[in-house]
Amino acid sequence: MKPLFSSFLFAAAALALAAAASTGTEPGISFEYHRYDELRKALVSVWLQCPTITRIYTIGESFEGRELLVLEMSDNPGTHEPGEPEFKYIANMHGNEAVGRELVIYLAQYLCNQYQQGNDTIIELIHNTRIHLMPSMNPDGFEKAASQPGEIKDWFVGRSNAQGVDLNRNFPDLDRIVYINEREGGANNHLLQNMKKAVDENTKLAPETKAVIHWIMDIPFVLSANLHGGDVVANYPYDETRSESAHEYSASPDDVMFKSLARAYSMFNPVMSDPHRPPCRKNDDDSSFKDGITNGGAWYSVPGGMQDFNYLSSNCFEITLELSCDKFPNEEMLKNYWEQNRDSLVNYIEQTHRGVKGFVRDLQGSPISNATISVEGIDHDITTAKDGDYWRLLAPGNYKVAASAPGFLTVIKKVAVPYSPATRVDFELESLMERKEEEREELMDWWKMMSETLNF
Amino acid sequence: MASKRVGLFVLLQLVVLNVVSQTSAFPTPTASADDKTVYNRQLTEERPLQEQIAEADSVKAAVQSAESKQPATSKDAEPEQGDDFTMLKSLADGQKSKEAPEGPVKKGDHQYVPDESDSTKSRRLADDYDSTKHGMDYGKYQDDPESFRQVDGTPLTAEDIVQKIANKIYEEDDRGVFDRIVSKLLKLGLITENQADTLEYQVAEALQDLITKNAKNNEIEDMDQESRGEQDDLGSDTDAWETPRRRYDEEDDDEVANNDDDETADEVDRDAEEDVDNSWDKEKEEGNEVNPEDGLQDLQYFPNFYRLLKSLDSEQDAQERETLITIMKTLIDFVKMMVKYGTITPEEGVSYLENLDAMIAMQTKNKLGKSLVVPDISGLTGKNFDEDDNTKSETAKMQKEYENLKDSTKEEQPSTETNQPAKSETYLEAIRKNIEWLKKHNKEEGKNDYDLSKLKDFMDQQVDSYIEKGIIAKDEGDTIKRIYSSL
Repeated sequence: MKPLFSSFLFAAAALALAAAASTGTEPGISFEYHRYDELRKALVSVWLQCPTITRIYTIGESFEGRELLVLEMSDNPGTHEPGEPEFKYIANMHGNEAVGRELVIYLAQYLCNQYQQGNDTIIELIHNTRIHLMPSMNPDGFEKAASQPGEIKDWFVGRSNAQGVDLNRNFPDLDRIVYINEREGGANNHLLQNMKKAVDENTKLAPETKAVIHWIMDIPFVLSANLHGGDVVANYPYDETRSESAHEYSASPDDVMFKSLARAYSMFNPVMSDPHRPPCRKNDDDSSFKDGITNGGAWYSVPGGMQDFNYLSSNCFEITLELSCDKFPNEEMLKNYWEQNRDSLVNYIEQTHRGVKGFVRDLQGSPISNATISVEGIDHDITTAKDGDYWRLLAPGNYKVAASAPGFLTVIKKVAVPYSPATRVDFELESLMERKEEEREELMDWWKMMSETLNF
Repeated sequence: MASKRVGLFVLLQLVVLNVVSQTSAFPTPTASADDKTVYNRQLTEERPLQEQIAEADSVKAAVQSAESKQPATSKDAEPEQGDDFTMLKSLADGQKSKEAPEGPVKKGDHQYVPDESDSTKSRRLADDYDSTKHGMDYGKYQDDPESFRQVDGTPLTAEDIVQKIANKIYEEDDRGVFDRIVSKLLKLGLITENQADTLEYQVAEALQDLITKNAKNNEIEDMDQESRGEQDDLGSDTDAWETPRRRYDEEDDDEVANNDDDETADEVDRDAEEDVDNSWDKEKEEGNEVNPEDGLQDLQYFPNFYRLLKSLDSEQDAQERETLITIMKTLIDFVKMMVKYGTITPEEGVSYLENLDAMIAMQTKNKLGKSLVVPDISGLTGKNFDEDDNTKSETAKMQKEYENLKDSTKEEQPSTETNQPAKSETYLEAIRKNIEWLKKHNKEEGKNDYDLSKLKDFMDQQVDSYIEKGIIAKDEGDTIKRIYSSL
């Protein structure tokens, strides 16, 4: 017998066992780069494997006609279930920052696999959240970056979209407006007036930017993150400095919550949260990084970014995740990046279930959409979605939460908020008409009584 | 006086009230038109799952009854085809009882799929140790001294396999054992017809030897008579034994209906389909000819292994092929043992087996690419789990080997990964995982069976809508639909 190959196989297989047992490999995920077609197929495969909890849709096309694909995961894909918060990950808006793109694909595969394997955490997450995953907001840029020959990829090639637009500077700059309103009074939320008009008639907006803005307006996202590369840190609003200087800590009204959110990501990423991590490049200034997080403005000012746009035009809280010193590292590194980020990615989605949430209805039980939820001490209000549902992310503490709507009487409630889960607070608002009617009736009754008594 | 004052006051109030109500200064709490458009703006195809399924129902209502027959039959056929592990296991256990063939149907929900992250995998391994459920199988394995390992722990050769089968047939006194084993192997596409014939012949030989030996031991005088008599006892269809020999008679000049011939597989011409006995006929439609597509479906858990086997098609490699099959089974047993003894967790065992296929791919490349000198690894087999030290040092040794291999193949592996899985294979895998999960899921929740036709309709509809939106290409969509319709 010449079982040369056979015994070799056996030995190799046994080795694999030893290796596998020690490294804890991720079955069902192949750690490689996905070009556009491969990305598409990867998402389709996830959908085919988990069709009851996933759905693929597209929010539009890139400049060169590639679909901006999204895979959503929830127990009822395709619908917003009243009370169920919506979450999104967007990656690769800079086409040459490739790690995020791949991580989102791996995450999709991971969530589907874990769901089918009975992982209770994942099952609960998918049942209680509607998760939207967009691996690439700039597929054209990625193709450009990936097509470069050789291992070393240029720092800039493929960053912008096919028109040469840096998508993370392309969003309407609402920071300017909010800073003015801070000083002179004015709205503190939903600052993009005449949304549809402003977007559709704005010739400066790239098709990818427009698609994302429509997407943000359509779906009542609660929490989001935007994946980048070139450094390792979790960055939170505001990105643009108030004084227009290059570096300045620019706190948002929800600074406390944002720090908590950013930390919730960084703490599960051993590289990001490593206090002794050397900067990515020798002369980098990462003095603003603490515990793996940084305020945007304190690091460097970014006008027209997607992160702040989310916060100032909608109810969505978004942070920016920088996940790798190398923007487009060697394919072999991808597995490591996954290992570093997997737990963070899952834990961050769970942050959606914090603070207070509930419904705002009128006395007849009908939902009041677009009602305002304000928190005393935080100069940023959010609004209810069309089922009257809202989710107000808050750090632990005691708060007074008010629900108001035009034509209704405001109701204020005191709430003690733990770290998690979200505290349910519903509001029943009495309309002014109703109150008027009540008063009128009271008056009529009194008049009747008087007239009977006094005989007139 | 007082009453007048009151009256005036009341009048004033009424007037004020009227004025106020007429002006109706209070805005009504209706949502403005703008907001409505913002929130009602339809996303592409944002409709509830149930709605879409219900729609599919109403469209296909007429065809429902006709189709319901199909899924029923395909469901019956499926467990047999798909239940690799049960077959292999029963192979290992020699199929002592008649229960084993029914196993695939019963255990259809607990299909063991040693590939990418199947939800049943870890359960399956755990189930194996629940003696109340599969006590028969596992108890056998525990007690069976003749597991796929010799006393000193070296893996079995093909000859040993033949020996084992012969032993089992002898003990069972039932030729059907052989038929069952071989038909399953054929169905799995692990062996070709030719090899089945070879196996049959070899087993027949071995059996004869066995009988002869035992006859001698028992001091029975007329050996020939006895052997023939015993052979008659071996099941009702003695013609089954006659048949192969007859075949050999036909094909070989010097061949005598004698059991001690040293015929090798090479010399015998093996197109004897007409002479296949009853038991063969039974299995015929289920894949005597190893249809590549069927084989692929069955062996999709180990596609690389299957390819490897296919590449060893020539007669010289028949032994090699046998050995490989042995090894695969041994490995599975190996993993089971390790899990049983707690050396590894079921999940690790499962992920190991998943990696196995990838390893095979890598090693295949190695073999084709370079002739690697392998140190005498055959000694490093069958870890004795009681001796931890031994195991550890062996592992360390092998780890070093693996590192060396790893380095040289690092470049190749990524590209292998990207190029290898053909599009349809990936989709096939994904669909299969879904079906398995559905089966298991429905079983757990106590439902009888998921509605395949409903799912099929829904998927068809989704595929169409995805094609329309440019998410799936037309040919991909057709592939998916074809896969679903073949279920």
